[in-house]
Amino acid sequence: MVVPYFNSAVVYASLFAFMAIGLTLTYLTTKVPNFAYGSFVTIGLYTSYTMWKINGIAPYYASAVAFLLAGLSSAIMYLVVLRPLARRGSSLVSLMIATFGVDFGFVGIFGIYTDYLRNRYNLNDTKQFFQLQADFNLGEVPGIVYVAPAALTLIALLLYLLLTRTKFGVAMRASVENPSLAKVLGINVERVYVVSWILAGGFAGMAGAFYTLWLPGGTSTGSDLIVEIFASSILGGLTSIFGAILGGLVIGGSEIVVGTNLTTGFGAIGAAALGVLLLLVSVYLWRLKKGRARIVGVAGIVLGAYVFLEAASGLSLDPLVSGLVGGFGVEAIAYQKAVPLLIMVAALIVMPKGLVSINWRKLLRRERKK
Amino acid sequence: MALPQAVFFGVDLVKFGIDFVNFYALYFAISLTLNLEAGYTGIPNFGKVLYVAGGAAVAGSLSGRLAAYVYGINTHGDYVTFNAQIITQVNNLIASDPVFATELVLLSLLIAALIGAAFGYLSSYPAIRLREDYLGMLLLAVAQFFQIFLRGFVPLVGGTQTIQVPDPYVYFASLGIGVRDLVAAAVISVFAITVYFFAEKVAKSPLGRTMRAVRDNEDASRALGKDDASIRRKVLVVASAMAGMAGALVTFYYGSVGADTWTRFAWTFWPWLIVIIGGAANNAGIALGALFFTALFKGLAQIQVLLPPSVLSDPNYIVDIAFAALIVIVLLVRPEGILRERPTLTLPRRKLVMIARSSSTQLPPAEGDSSTREGGGKLGRLKSLLGRILKRRGSADSAR
Repeated sequence: MVVPYFNSAVVYASLFAFMAIGLTLTYLTTKVPNFAYGSFVTIGLYTSYTMWKINGIAPYYASAVAFLLAGLSSAIMYLVVLRPLARRGSSLVSLMIATFGVDFGFVGIFGIYTDYLRNRYNLNDTKQFFQLQADFNLGEVPGIVYVAPAALTLIALLLYLLLTRTKFGVAMRASVENPSLAKVLGINVERVYVVSWILAGGFAGMAGAFYTLWLPGGTSTGSDLIVEIFASSILGGLTSIFGAILGGLVIGGSEIVVGTNLTTGFGAIGAAALGVLLLLVSVYLWRLKKGRARIVGVAGIVLGAYVFLEAASGLSLDPLVSGLVGGFGVEAIAYQKAVPLLIMVAALIVMPKGLVSINWRKLLRRERKK
Repeated sequence: MALPQAVFFGVDLVKFGIDFVNFYALYFAISLTLNLEAGYTGIPNFGKVLYVAGGAAVAGSLSGRLAAYVYGINTHGDYVTFNAQIITQVNNLIASDPVFATELVLLSLLIAALIGAAFGYLSSYPAIRLREDYLGMLLLAVAQFFQIFLRGFVPLVGGTQTIQVPDPYVYFASLGIGVRDLVAAAVISVFAITVYFFAEKVAKSPLGRTMRAVRDNEDASRALGKDDASIRRKVLVVASAMAGMAGALVTFYYGSVGADTWTRFAWTFWPWLIVIIGGAANNAGIALGALFFTALFKGLAQIQVLLPPSVLSDPNYIVDIAFAALIVIVLLVRPEGILRERPTLTLPRRKLVMIARSSSTQLPPAEGDSSTREGGGKLGRLKSLLGRILKRRGSADSAR
């Protein structure tokens, strides 16, 4: 491979795209951000773990079971918790806090389940386990690097066909656009919602099963992943499934690329390029803002120029620039989640409707006119 | 001196009681600050853990370094690695130096409040601009990142291994078993009561009514010239500062601080649960809600008597599931909580009595009032007047 972390970036990007599709589906249908969504990933994780450790079934097969289990849990959550609350006329915040509570319940269930596994099968790594050694290798490359993006492409294609070529898909889009009009036309909106929740949970479960082939997992993995999942969906605009795929790819890819480079270093050229990037963004901000807000732009310009000059001249004396050039060491891996978080904050400020909302052609034309 | 023991079915009631008060006062205070944000002002703060953990981590980390510096203890340039030795020395010295111990607590509280306020100020930027759902997601993600950051950033609180903090109550530990916790409970209770009176004062002030106006109808309050952005910012800063102080008090009580204490369940969800159970925008309701919550939590934790660690490694799993069910049931059956929100009386009770006395002759007698008037006296008149005020307000509320 040309770049050593390429595999990691591919797997991460595909998995987050999966998860973002699901979260976006639930948000589209019920208009509630599902805080329990991370738990569906954990369901997939433990389905895969259990089937591999006890029955020796590889996670690829387990992912189908994970899809069913997580989809079922998701549907039950919708039918038992969210639908009754929504019918009662609960506020959005009430619905959000309810999903938050359900996540809590899931974590309790995982705790009991892992205790049961430990006692019943004498496994000592149920709470926190390493990557499962169950993958095949194709050449030097583990199978998941091929399977995850292939599965994502397949699912995206199927979703596209479902939404545009089938009657049910058209009904689905209608119910999202205008539920009351859809009801008038005789569409069973409730059934559409239940199916979307099954699909949403299912994708999370599938991603969780794949996840075990690449990274260590545990009872809190899903909860920690919520940062990236929310970031991906928000970057995608929360209202577009294909935006979510794009958001997941960007978030997953950039987290690995930036995070790995923070530990091993960007090299002099990379650091200088970062300085130039910062400089350009700051100039843009400076032009955009008026008055006191311009300070941010000015500070960015100064910092960007400084990083560029130091990195380019090879005189990196201070820890910031020398860290960028030579790497901050292994500890920096802990901060790689700052990347999705920062992208999420930036997306909320600059384009709250997400990547797909931007009319690139118009933007380019406007820039050219200036 | 040792505290009396009262063992009852294998549970030491005195110890249990002190523990109970500590837990109750702590969650009461944090839920009150959440109530100011979510209940009164309508800011869905799903990142409460961020402010508590921020205050706790910085206060816990700095207080030990500060004490080591003041006493001239050699930290070998690596505070975290030699933490246990340093803190042992610090505690030995603090035990005979109550003035410094008090100063240390006060200074740490100040630092924690500043950190909390700074976090609150930063989060007011999105809180003013974003819709509820986006804001909730953002704050939740930021808080989760902060915990991941604490786990990874070793110099602050030692990453996943916890670090110890100086124990300002160490003087009382020598007086007998349990005395230290009793004093800690007293300190946290004083803090919680202060927060309660502050929150009540704010709620009854014109600011409190403006907060509700911003919550209920942003456009209308803006049209009346209220600056909703500045009100949201003020509330977030003040509430977060108090949450940070609560975090510092937790740290001193536990005697240690680490990353894994600060889960979003224990410090975001539980305060939310208390606010929902007790009743949003009702401080007395929060007191009851916190009591109910603490009783349920401490009661369910006794389940470990039935299920020993060999079967269930953590009795809290049962508690988790119970709370998840509880919040859904409360939201379905009684979403307004134990005590519902009440309209505030704009004048103090004393003035209302005076008004009632002076105007009772001019007021036309309302139906059903004669009995209370015959019952006579100040109280009856006040009751009828208040009843009428409240009735009018109630109907106005329901009309809206």
